[in-house]
Amino acid sequence: MSDQHNPPAIRATLEPERPAPPQAGRARPKPLRALAGRQELLVLGLLLLAGIVLSLRSENFLQPTNLLNLARGVSWFAISALGVSMVILIGGIDLSVGAVMALAGLVCALALQAGTPLPLAIGAGLLSGTGVGMANGLLVGQLNLPPFIVTLGTMGLARGLALGLTGGAPVRELPASFRMLGQGDLRLAGVTLPLPLLAMVTMALLVSLLLHQTVLGRYIYTLGRDEQALRVAGVATTRIKITVYTFSGLLAACGGIIMTAWLGVAAPTAAEGYELDIIAAAVIGGTSLFGGEGSVLGVVLGTLLMLTVRNGMVMLGLPAYWQLSTIGAMILAVVLIDYLRRRRLTHG
Amino acid sequence: MHHTQTAVAPASRQLRSFGAIRVLMIGLVALLAACAAPATPPRPKLTLAWVTKSLGNPVFDHGYRGAQQKALELSRDGPYEVELITVGPIAADAVEQTRVLDDLIARRVDGIAVSCNDPTACSDPIDRAVAAGIPVMTWDSDAPESDRFTFLSIDNYAAGRKAAELLIQAIGPTGAVAIITGVPGGLNLEQRVSGFRDVIAGYPEITIVAEVATNEDISRGVQGVEDVMQAHPELRGWFFAGMWPLFADRGAMPLWEQATRSGRLKTVSFDTLPLQLELVRDGYLTALIGQKYWGWGYDSIQILYDKVTERRQFPPFIDTGMDIVTARNVEAMLRAWETNDFQTPLPPP
Repeated sequence: MSDQHNPPAIRATLEPERPAPPQAGRARPKPLRALAGRQELLVLGLLLLAGIVLSLRSENFLQPTNLLNLARGVSWFAISALGVSMVILIGGIDLSVGAVMALAGLVCALALQAGTPLPLAIGAGLLSGTGVGMANGLLVGQLNLPPFIVTLGTMGLARGLALGLTGGAPVRELPASFRMLGQGDLRLAGVTLPLPLLAMVTMALLVSLLLHQTVLGRYIYTLGRDEQALRVAGVATTRIKITVYTFSGLLAACGGIIMTAWLGVAAPTAAEGYELDIIAAAVIGGTSLFGGEGSVLGVVLGTLLMLTVRNGMVMLGLPAYWQLSTIGAMILAVVLIDYLRRRRLTHG
Repeated sequence: MHHTQTAVAPASRQLRSFGAIRVLMIGLVALLAACAAPATPPRPKLTLAWVTKSLGNPVFDHGYRGAQQKALELSRDGPYEVELITVGPIAADAVEQTRVLDDLIARRVDGIAVSCNDPTACSDPIDRAVAAGIPVMTWDSDAPESDRFTFLSIDNYAAGRKAAELLIQAIGPTGAVAIITGVPGGLNLEQRVSGFRDVIAGYPEITIVAEVATNEDISRGVQGVEDVMQAHPELRGWFFAGMWPLFADRGAMPLWEQATRSGRLKTVSFDTLPLQLELVRDGYLTALIGQKYWGWGYDSIQILYDKVTERRQFPPFIDTGMDIVTARNVEAMLRAWETNDFQTPLPPP
């Protein structure tokens, strides 16, 4: 499954600027060190470990149906996480993502119920998310307000709008053509590919292209590391911020619409608290909350690890109370390992 | 995000979305009440408040209609002009609910019936109301440590036991079963689950292979059901202590649907909303255990009225009983929702 998820192109990640390797001392082959220095590899290792343990404990874990089920759940989550990780890359944060997911799904569902053709309804949903994202960007970029507070505010606005539009009741009975987007599969030469997975891979490729093949992408990484340098160089950082927050809104809306299509219901309370899960997934995948460091592959792997562990705990019948602590412990463990690794790199 | 809504008149859906207008309206109503007090009131007025956990929940909307009906009947038949106030926080939030209750005390209502978001957080404002001479009862969700005079609710433990009996009736005395619950630690749900577990414990051939917490989130519910179906293809039965995964449309839980259609898997669920009734009718659910949503409003207002006007005494717990719906009486329950008549007893399940 992981080879479906991570086509080689996504692996083209920008190697963050690392502290210069210690010159002398114990000779460790250089390529190996370069590899070991990547959090993606650590997460991949943990993912393999989780996969092995789970397939040993439950013969049903590696069943295609389970992997497809997992892939569907990972897809919309990862799409939303891609946007948030871009925001984290520039040293910001986006707490509105869960509320935007709910709002976009709901706007799309309401439009469909009103008889709007599918592409237009999806457009309306995407527009609502883009709007919230752009508002975040304008407030953070133009007015220099702290992103934590700004996106906390728009989170409330978007959630309240979702509740107000529906009077709190979920919107059901969505057309089958729409549900197909979340539930349908593409069958190619005997291989079943869930449509949400294809959407996720496409989005991941596009974001990867944006980050690594465009000037904007380079500025995004630099902005997170040294905003002053960009300003001195005469780059309009305000515009970059607005663009990145808008992208985050757009991607969250995209994830929210796919989630809605998969469930076949748009609830105004959907995705409540997901912003923290999504930020955690990005951090597990190596996105640094200090900005300037992270990769598309890492975000996808981080999401995959988090949801695999959650799926596995349910499959193994672990008590609900302990599942929460396990995810929490995993976040701490990954961050701690990363910290230790960095310290070794800097101090030799 | 958490604003309080005061629906003095039945608020229209649109009004709900405009917090500012709402606040203005509350102010206006208060002003009118203060200034326009009639010189010679034709009849004494009784103001009863019915407080929900949150707004927009269809079962509370339903209870509200019951409360409204009872207020109309009492006004029509009795000496008092009964005014009904329905309030609640927008989201199920304990702090916001405290504020709502304090507002009602300040308004000097004659009685309060409340469904508590949190038993502890609810206790202080209830005690403040009682100290101010306002009798308070709880419905659906209790604050047992408070000075409320009674609690009207389904017996959740008994309902959980009943769910287990219905499931065993459907699958026989052997096989693997699983449970869906909401937020870990929620009192009502814990009671339902422990009732269910206690009955299952008497059947050594039945094993509970999983208990999944959904956090009251639809997609977590759907994923949980499918994860368990994947791990235990041999599963014979489900107990949904709340209906979260069922909000999702067909196609979201392919494994559950497939096993159900094959006749091997049976599901008993809490609650009797129309969408669940349709699932019973279509053969996806075996049995439902319903609370008396209508009675939450209709009966609460009668109890409050008797307490305020006659100082009547009530036991600390009033069992509402439960509705049991199977394929045999599902049509009658669907009709009840269509006609809004929940007083005609259901045919036996």
